[in-house]
Amino acid sequence: MAPKAFRFFQFPWRTRAAISRDVDAELEFHLDARIAALVAGGMSADDAKRQARDEFGDLEYTRKYCRDLDERSEAKVRLADRLGAWRQDVQYAWRTLRRGPGFAAVSLLTLALAIGANTAIFSVASAVLLKPLPYRDPDALVRLYERPVKSPTDRWGLSAPNLADYRARQRTLTGLAAFYSRLATWRSGTSDPQIVLAMRATANLFDILGVPAWRGRTFSAGDDGPSAGAKAILSHQFWERALGADTTIVGRSITLYNQAYEVIGIMPRGFTVDGHEAIWIPLDLSDDLSRPAVTRKQRFYNLIGRLRAGTSFEAASTDLIGISRNLGTEYPEANGDYVAAPVRMPDAVAANLKQPVLLLLGAAILILLIACANLANVTLSRSMSRRTEMAVRAALGAGRGRLARQLLTESVLLSLVGGGMGVLLAVGATRALLALNPDMLPGIFHVGVDGRVLLFSAVASIGTGLLFGLGPAVLAARADLHGALKDRGRGGIGSRAGERIRHGLVVAQVGLAVMLLIGAGLLVRSFREVSNVRQGFDPDRVLTAQLRADGVRYDSATAVNEFYDGVLGEISRSPGVVAAGAVMYLPAQGKEYSTLFIEGSSMDPTHLPGIAYNMVRGDYFKALKIPIVAGRTYDERDPPQGPNVSMINEAAARQFFPKGDAVGHRIRIGPNPKADWTTIVGVVGDMRDAANWVAPEPTIYDNARQQTWWGSLSVVVRTTGDPLAAVPVLRRAVTAGDPSLAIRDVGTLDEKIGLSLSTRRFALGLATSFAVLALVLAAVGIYGVLAYAVTSRTREFGVRLALGAPARSVLLLVLRQGLGWSLVGLVLGVAGALAGGRLLAGMLYGVGPIDTVTYLAVTVGLLLVVTVACLVPATRATSVDPLTSTRAE
Amino acid sequence: MARTPSELLQGTVDILILRTLAWESMHGYAISRWLTDRTDGVLAVDGAALYQALHRLEHRKFVAASWGLSENNRKAKFYRLTTTGRTQLRAESAVWQNYADAVAKVLRPT
Repeated sequence: MAPKAFRFFQFPWRTRAAISRDVDAELEFHLDARIAALVAGGMSADDAKRQARDEFGDLEYTRKYCRDLDERSEAKVRLADRLGAWRQDVQYAWRTLRRGPGFAAVSLLTLALAIGANTAIFSVASAVLLKPLPYRDPDALVRLYERPVKSPTDRWGLSAPNLADYRARQRTLTGLAAFYSRLATWRSGTSDPQIVLAMRATANLFDILGVPAWRGRTFSAGDDGPSAGAKAILSHQFWERALGADTTIVGRSITLYNQAYEVIGIMPRGFTVDGHEAIWIPLDLSDDLSRPAVTRKQRFYNLIGRLRAGTSFEAASTDLIGISRNLGTEYPEANGDYVAAPVRMPDAVAANLKQPVLLLLGAAILILLIACANLANVTLSRSMSRRTEMAVRAALGAGRGRLARQLLTESVLLSLVGGGMGVLLAVGATRALLALNPDMLPGIFHVGVDGRVLLFSAVASIGTGLLFGLGPAVLAARADLHGALKDRGRGGIGSRAGERIRHGLVVAQVGLAVMLLIGAGLLVRSFREVSNVRQGFDPDRVLTAQLRADGVRYDSATAVNEFYDGVLGEISRSPGVVAAGAVMYLPAQGKEYSTLFIEGSSMDPTHLPGIAYNMVRGDYFKALKIPIVAGRTYDERDPPQGPNVSMINEAAARQFFPKGDAVGHRIRIGPNPKADWTTIVGVVGDMRDAANWVAPEPTIYDNARQQTWWGSLSVVVRTTGDPLAAVPVLRRAVTAGDPSLAIRDVGTLDEKIGLSLSTRRFALGLATSFAVLALVLAAVGIYGVLAYAVTSRTREFGVRLALGAPARSVLLLVLRQGLGWSLVGLVLGVAGALAGGRLLAGMLYGVGPIDTVTYLAVTVGLLLVVTVACLVPATRATSVDPLTSTRAE
Repeated sequence: MARTPSELLQGTVDILILRTLAWESMHGYAISRWLTDRTDGVLAVDGAALYQALHRLEHRKFVAASWGLSENNRKAKFYRLTTTGRTQLRAESAVWQNYADAVAKVLRPT
């Protein structure tokens, strides 16, 4: 009946108007056909029209019904088409990538490194800045510090009497838990004694943190009382590492400080207070308070409180600061210059890490940008050599938008695959890093690749793909297809825009790399400063060991002195040893506290100021490179039986002798008014001997040759090479002095105080590897661009050489080109570093943000690398064979 | 077969159209003529129901449409059965046959 229906070319996507037109036309055809039939049957035109309409039924409703339905069908078709096109693009992209495995491999490697670096850093940033702490409702936890009124950023601990007053007077917290850490020797009975972190804590600590024990129980009220037995709670880490995950340990006892502690519980995995694995033992505040030597000035207790339900942090702050002001009025001497500094727990934990982490994240993003520039370059070069292909596809009907989309699909696909590899790399790298430096981050943070990190990586990958694919895609869309087909894709000359972009990218790359290198260089230099100058001592290449000269043999001062003088003298004379000395407490090992009375002063003997007390002998200050800032150190002028002499640190000199005349004054140490006077003979530099963020406190370094009542000293030996190589020397010297004496805790000082530096070292390591990565990427980028330039000018070089140009001139031509762009980048990078250096200011110690040495080193180093990167393609240019090159195309 | 009468009606039109298109593609007017002729005017489907059904079937991919020329050289929309449409027709035919037989059994004088 119907003739053969042929299909008109129908554009796949109809507009609303077109749909409406089609429906109208169809219905009109029906009515007209019916009218024609009726008229043919003898009806008048008007009657036929009316009848046709009546027969039809509800015309308007049908019209609307058909339109709606068609629009819905159309939308479905459109979606399917689009998905089909994408699939086609992806398939095509995949084939293209597989056709150029070299390009794919280089791009994937670049992407994997860049996105891997970003993923790793973001996983750290996410753990440090975004994840909640492992406590119940951590936002309601408050760390309470005190700070000197004049320095708003300092965070000090509290003294026992102050802490007791805060506990009694505060009305806004459910309670205040106090704790402090000391290193303790743990004896397992089967292996060598180990130093472990023992945290003394009041019984309410775990209640306030809101974390129950994983096995056994936590402290209950009264466990920290004077008559309670010695109990210990283990961290999961310690239990696993040191006790081999033996659950039967609960109820048994472990030996700390030569005393048995009953293990009452094990905390869940991941639980920690202030990072690091630990053993918690009860802190008996009443005992601390009853000691006569304890004053309000010994600020070393850490405090954590929990806000009462419905109380805001601000209200608690007001409450606590109010108490501190009252304490300042009541005890002006000890508290007048101090004020409470409450900090929300999450802020307190992340405080030391926030800046380095954000900085590293910034560095990682710079790396990603360099990688983008690199990939854009390679893609651009490729798209130039693919001009013929593009032109053919365009001639076959692919729109420019479609071509651009094809290129974008390729780059996004590439970056997704590269990103996937990067994530794997990041997982491996962070695991390896954490395994190698378990202390680099406080154990409180669980770094891992989770959903949030994956999302970040996916977004970074797609963003990267779009970023480096965009330039080439835009160029492809604008390309002169006719010209491309005509000169068969020889490119080179017709691609001015591409060339400009490529050069711009090299400049950007070099610039970014320079900025990263300068940043990393500044960090490296300031790390040296931090570990030496800032700490006040240099822990590098120092061997330490503990000796204990007591018992019957050492009941006379002469015996003790003979032993130590003999041992230290023997060690000092050995080859490879710079200096040897001994000290009562090593840095980070804690200290004693005493009081001080200055001769002729008007100090109230019942309220003497507190001062930290330590004791040294031999070349202790020289061994740790602690400078003598006034007077002298102990020597032969101070015989054991002669008049007592002492040294103090700068903090003590500042506090007690503000006129700077400490040397020569006589002081009395301790509350005993009949004690001997001792003369100050020297002042040494301050050192951060607790942790590098704890300000140095006034300290006396007494002369151990005159104070032999303390027999247990730590020997420190500075060596020229590996400190552990001096262990035999040490053992020999001790055996020569007293073969029956044990040597304990032999190790480098670095190891013993490493905890406080490791985070910084980690950040430094990362920043350095980022800078190296940036340098490599930039070098590869420059090499790639030059190599491409050389290839596309092969014929020109061939002609030049054939016409007698010396090889050297061709070499110089290429070198000049490459170095020229790099120099522009270098200048811009230096300018950028000068501008951005301020961001680093807070992390730099001892070097300014404009450090000539760093800038020079980076400039020279970069020029060297760039020259090498240029030399390879340049040499290739000179070896072009004139004959083959002119025939090549 | 829990169908309300109106659903039944709609289903009826659908299967009639599918059956009509079983052998050749047609435009809407031709379908309506063919149905009227074949059933001697008993099953005359009005235009509104016919076109709604056609577009519904097109949406469900039982029929496909394309523009062609009618016998008197006018542009008209032609419908043809798709493979899924053919499958649907077979399935629905069986259902309808059963239904019709059942009704006939009930109505037959015993």
